Amino acid sequence: MNNFGVIELAGGKTTRAPGWAYVPDVGPSPAQALQPTNRKRAARNQGGLNASDLSARQDAKIRKDLEALDRDTNKDVNIPIPPKAGGSRAQASNKHTPNVRKILQSQKTFANHLDDYQALLALAETNPAAAAALNPANAAQPKTAPPSTARNSPAPPPPEPKSAAASKRSAAAAKRAAAREAKEAEEAAAAKAKAEAKTQAPEPKVEPPATGTEDDVEMTDAPVDAPAEATQAEPGAVPPAPPPQSYPPDGTILPAYKKAPPPAHPADHDPLLVSRVPPFPSDEELRVLMTAPPLSYLEARGTWGEEEARYPARVFCEVCGYWGRVRCMKCGARVCALDCLETHREECVTRYGL
Amino acid sequence: MAGGKKSRQSGPAPPSRTLVIDNGANTIKAGFASETNEPRIIPNCIARDRHRKTFVGSELDKCKDFGEIAFRRPVEKGYIVNWEAQKEIWDREFFDDKAPQKCDPSDTRLVLAEHSNSLPALQSHCDQMVFEEFGFTSYYRGPGPAFNAYNDVQAIFKTHRADDAIVEYPAEVMLLVDSGYSHTTVTPILQGRPLHQAVRRLDVGGKLMTNYLTRLLSVRHFDMRNDTYVVNEMKETACYVSMDFKGDLEKTWKGTRGERKPEYLSGAGIAKDYVLPDSHTRFHGEVREYEPGVSAKARKGGPSTEDILTLRNERFVVPELLFHPSDIGMRQPGLGDLVMQSLSVLPIGLWPGLLANIVVVGGNALFDNFILRLQTEVLERVPDACIVRVARPDNPIVSTWTGAANFARHEHAERLAVTKQEYEEYGSAWVARKFATGLGVNGDAMG
Repeated sequence: MNNFGVIELAGGKTTRAPGWAYVPDVGPSPAQALQPTNRKRAARNQGGLNASDLSARQDAKIRKDLEALDRDTNKDVNIPIPPKAGGSRAQASNKHTPNVRKILQSQKTFANHLDDYQALLALAETNPAAAAALNPANAAQPKTAPPSTARNSPAPPPPEPKSAAASKRSAAAAKRAAAREAKEAEEAAAAKAKAEAKTQAPEPKVEPPATGTEDDVEMTDAPVDAPAEATQAEPGAVPPAPPPQSYPPDGTILPAYKKAPPPAHPADHDPLLVSRVPPFPSDEELRVLMTAPPLSYLEARGTWGEEEARYPARVFCEVCGYWGRVRCMKCGARVCALDCLETHREECVTRYGL
Repeated sequence: MAGGKKSRQSGPAPPSRTLVIDNGANTIKAGFASETNEPRIIPNCIARDRHRKTFVGSELDKCKDFGEIAFRRPVEKGYIVNWEAQKEIWDREFFDDKAPQKCDPSDTRLVLAEHSNSLPALQSHCDQMVFEEFGFTSYYRGPGPAFNAYNDVQAIFKTHRADDAIVEYPAEVMLLVDSGYSHTTVTPILQGRPLHQAVRRLDVGGKLMTNYLTRLLSVRHFDMRNDTYVVNEMKETACYVSMDFKGDLEKTWKGTRGERKPEYLSGAGIAKDYVLPDSHTRFHGEVREYEPGVSAKARKGGPSTEDILTLRNERFVVPELLFHPSDIGMRQPGLGDLVMQSLSVLPIGLWPGLLANIVVVGGNALFDNFILRLQTEVLERVPDACIVRVARPDNPIVSTWTGAANFARHEHAERLAVTKQEYEEYGSAWVARKFATGLGVNGDAMG
């Protein structure tokens, strides 16, 4: 990019002012992409609504309507906080800490906060140092990449079921590692956590005698194998009903069903009736899922993708709400039949002229 | 901060009471976990009626005339945004001398339910307010959907169990659909921990539906744009989720020009008369069976003094937005697709468990047929062999609160809560991280 010889230096310092921020413009903002304003762009990456069906005017109307539907009250009301009966209010206001005073005086709306957050994310992408200086809470997290990459990255592949002995060893190792980790984390934590560690530390020692009975050897990795066995078994072959004590010890995320299975039915292995249970995710996979960080506000929004665009959007009569079968030739609004078309014409004429 | 210093010397004493608050956009659900199983429901708003009288929070009960009432809400999109208003409401409900639920923050733990996917700035505001302004001695802020796992989920499904079966909290696996005032979210929950990567949101909630009904009525009947409260009441009492949208729409159509279809004239069981409040003798609306000709008489200015609206397709078109947001041009998937989007990021091995335990909470769950319709929609989309069970608790509005109250009595609350001293020592970023981490999955933690 030729900037007439001017080289832009990423400054380490950014001033922050309430309500707005300098943001490097690196692409369409995600907030806008939700209801695209640009007609061409909307048409290009359009999902369900037919391009010919949606003139720019109607597009704008839909956007305006949705904004109106999203509002809390019809008019912009400004209701001040009523004064209290006692005079306690005046005293209380003096005692606020600076943080609290700032929060109480903030007149930002949710949209403002969302824009700020977007700006911060964009800044973190281009200039992590400045973003870190701006928001210590966010910078403390090690990740600098935007959360979207985290979401798109595939989950780690499920490990193959190992032999019973090996997986038992690995499970035990994992448990030990987990316990070690827990201990380390707790040592780092405060006095309260210390007390906690005391109660938790003896647990691994207590656990084996608690769950491990005479056939301790049988206690293998069930979350991978037990359901997998069920699926892999041929309809003809009868898998031996696992004894209840062969289920995994506590400590797995989803311990298998502990009680005796329901009594066998003669038709259980009928090839027409047998049900195929998908393989159960491994413990590690579940742990990854459960510890994944929360998505951001915009990422969590349900997306309008191919799947949803399979069926054309339904259109309704703007007057009575029946199917919109006829289109007004002047403004493109949909109505159901002549009666409603006439009602619509009155409005259409007043708005757009003859 | 003198109190903090003193208690540091004496060591942390556990707070004697736990205040559980589910701070919704429309209503606050609040109560002390140790003392009650029923929260108090407080309107979370500052309202001003047409006589310019202002009501804060539960004072709204004293209000009789809801015509042209205007609201200021501290919660936007489910998140506490305006702390000036929120503090005023909390002050009057919990901290003032004459507060109905008086509590002493220095001896109280606060368990606060928030919506998932909040903005970090709003979360840290919340933490700062709780510790620096209100001064709670111990505090946990957690995702509201996850608290529902601390309810007796199988009792909601009426699962057949042995009488002496021990109910273990939290529930192992469930898929929670929370359809509230601001939006509808889908959250898969494993052992009380939400699977964050699979949380999905649909921006259709009670507010949007009320506004949509307001618009429909204003086009077809009277201008109701200043009477959102009245319309909301109408929506709650008269709207239902249609099981046969096409058929119902056909039945409520008047027909082509000059023709009046017999179903239209008779109402076909769908049309209902709604008597509007006149704010002199009648303060709440009322649904009546449709009587052909009654509303026509009212329109002609007959002897009737009542304002009557005939609701036809408005009754089911409005909740239909939950399943087809594209009906108003919104580019979002319906609830059925949303559930599938959430499941699609999870391993298929989890699907059977999640699909068999779908719980719906939030005020919108009260619509007739909502549960049945969701079940049908999900069934259409999943493999045939999957068992799909959808249910709602007896009172879906307070379900999150009761779950949070059970959580407060559970040992998990001890593990997760942060004390005021810790906040003062490690700062709000540390607190935010601790809350975001949640329970974690250490091996010994699962037992």
